[in-house]
Amino acid sequence: MSGDGGTFLTDRRVRELGLGLLAALVTAGGYVLLALSEAPALPPDLWGFLAVVLGLFGLGHLALRRLAPFADATLLPLAALLAGLGFVTIARLDLAVPPERRLALTQAVWVGVGMAAFVGTVAGVRRVRTLERYRYSILLAGVVALLLPLVPGLGYEANGARLWIRVGTLNFQPGEAAKVLLVVFFAAYLTDHREVLTTGSRRLGRLSLPDARHLGPVLVPWGISILIMVNQKDLGSSLLFFTVFVAMLYMATGRLAYLLAGLLLFSGAAVFAYRNFTHVTDRVQTWLDPWADVQGRGYQLAQSLFALGEGGLTGTGLGLGRPDLIPNAATDFVLPALGEELGFAGTLAVLAAFLLLVGRAFRVAVEAPRPFSQLFAAGLATILGVQTFVIVGGVTRVIPLTGVTLPFVSYGGSSLVANFVIVALLLRISDETARGALDDARRRARHLEPAAVAP
Amino acid sequence: MPEGLLTILRLCLLALLYLFLWRVLRVITLELRVERLAVPPVGTGSPPPARARPATTDRRRGGGGRVVVVEPSARAGEAFALGEEETIGRAPGCGIRLDDTYVSQVHARLYRRDRRLFVEDLGSTNGTFVNGTRIGGPVRLRRGDRLQVGGTVLEVDR
Repeated sequence: MSGDGGTFLTDRRVRELGLGLLAALVTAGGYVLLALSEAPALPPDLWGFLAVVLGLFGLGHLALRRLAPFADATLLPLAALLAGLGFVTIARLDLAVPPERRLALTQAVWVGVGMAAFVGTVAGVRRVRTLERYRYSILLAGVVALLLPLVPGLGYEANGARLWIRVGTLNFQPGEAAKVLLVVFFAAYLTDHREVLTTGSRRLGRLSLPDARHLGPVLVPWGISILIMVNQKDLGSSLLFFTVFVAMLYMATGRLAYLLAGLLLFSGAAVFAYRNFTHVTDRVQTWLDPWADVQGRGYQLAQSLFALGEGGLTGTGLGLGRPDLIPNAATDFVLPALGEELGFAGTLAVLAAFLLLVGRAFRVAVEAPRPFSQLFAAGLATILGVQTFVIVGGVTRVIPLTGVTLPFVSYGGSSLVANFVIVALLLRISDETARGALDDARRRARHLEPAAVAP
Repeated sequence: MPEGLLTILRLCLLALLYLFLWRVLRVITLELRVERLAVPPVGTGSPPPARARPATTDRRRGGGGRVVVVEPSARAGEAFALGEEETIGRAPGCGIRLDDTYVSQVHARLYRRDRRLFVEDLGSTNGTFVNGTRIGGPVRLRRGDRLQVGGTVLEVDR
């Protein structure tokens, strides 16, 4: 890269490499400590493990060097750290179960697939504008993805929610893909219509309301997705969709009325669900008092709280606690499983990593020059942030529990792949922004004439 | 495995975890400081950075305040303290001496009136820009403003 402004921005990849190596070191350190709790020897496959961790990070890093050299330096290392810690936690939980129920190897394969999807996205989406152009095809794909689990023979039900499809031996949760696809559509649609949505054309008392004609195309896909979610009994995703949608509408228009309307709609739906669906009633009751039925419905949440309490300040040490007592510790309840053995300090570090990840993602949005890129990045950042809040709040009894995965950390292929794609898209937007700033600086430099001869 | 050793290793792992977060934070703050090198686009009519605020910080007698180089990146971070009046240029006598072929010998001057900082172009070849706009007469500078002379961009810091 030549030119003055380039030096700093190309440094971003150097910084990324440094942070990535550190993240790999943390992951390997966790892996070693886990082995030491079993036997006083280094794990026999330590070098192989380290090679895989570095190889996976290196793959993403090299792809960025080639295809998005000016993209943000911190997003990929943060994702790598979280995925690494998640893997260590899952490997730890494997120690307590018989070999046929072990998950770590599958998770490792899925991280690999996620990384491949990351590279594929960085390579395939060269310009954010391309996505904007195919908004309606993307909407269609998103709706199809949401509907797939309802197709008989293809979809099946697990843990009371019908959100899986099975193709051969491969299980996938298409809702995860739908999340990203619908954010693309919302961003494109809201970019086009935000003026109309902002000004409002009907008055109701002191409030000016946008014409139904302009809101309809947004409300319809939203309604469909909520409906499907309720049909599939997937409360977490339903909440996620709705929050992200309202947040994007607010960010696009800056009108508080949308937030208030959203809150009202949400409250109505929540009360309705509480009264009419027993599984929702259960969740709320358990949240209010997990000790009332601690051997039954409250068992999972109580175990989660015990685990976090047991961890204390610095944790019991990897492999030395009993996180396997928490049901679903590898998926929804991965945070308390990690928190028991790494303690409050470790839990706080994980939350800080999420804070930095989401904060950087919003920064990408703020810096982006075009409205679509801004809104798209902000939507992706909102997905990551809300999803983290919903599950962390759920397992720590801040809000009623709704099952979603903790991004990058939880066991689960679809979620990993979707989150790696989200980070890849954010990096693409970040690279475009930096490239634009560089071009501007160069263009200006060309217009200068040497002043050496001037007085 | 002795328990004491495991405890120490566990604390080391946590320390490493926080070291990682600290390094990430360092990269972020470093970029916040230097990222302003992304010079505001010229002539596209885009507004100056929103963080420009009235210069209320200068309470000391006389000059105070300084300007910091943001571009070229090789010199980024270099600061010039401001007195009551400073000339910017390539000539040896200038208070803010910039070794940049696109800067005139005596390019512009910074001065204070009623504790307010102003910049004025002194008939330079390539002109003086404030937040991407070429200036005609004296222009008041506030904290966070970008001053471009030749290929050099300075930011008003305090």
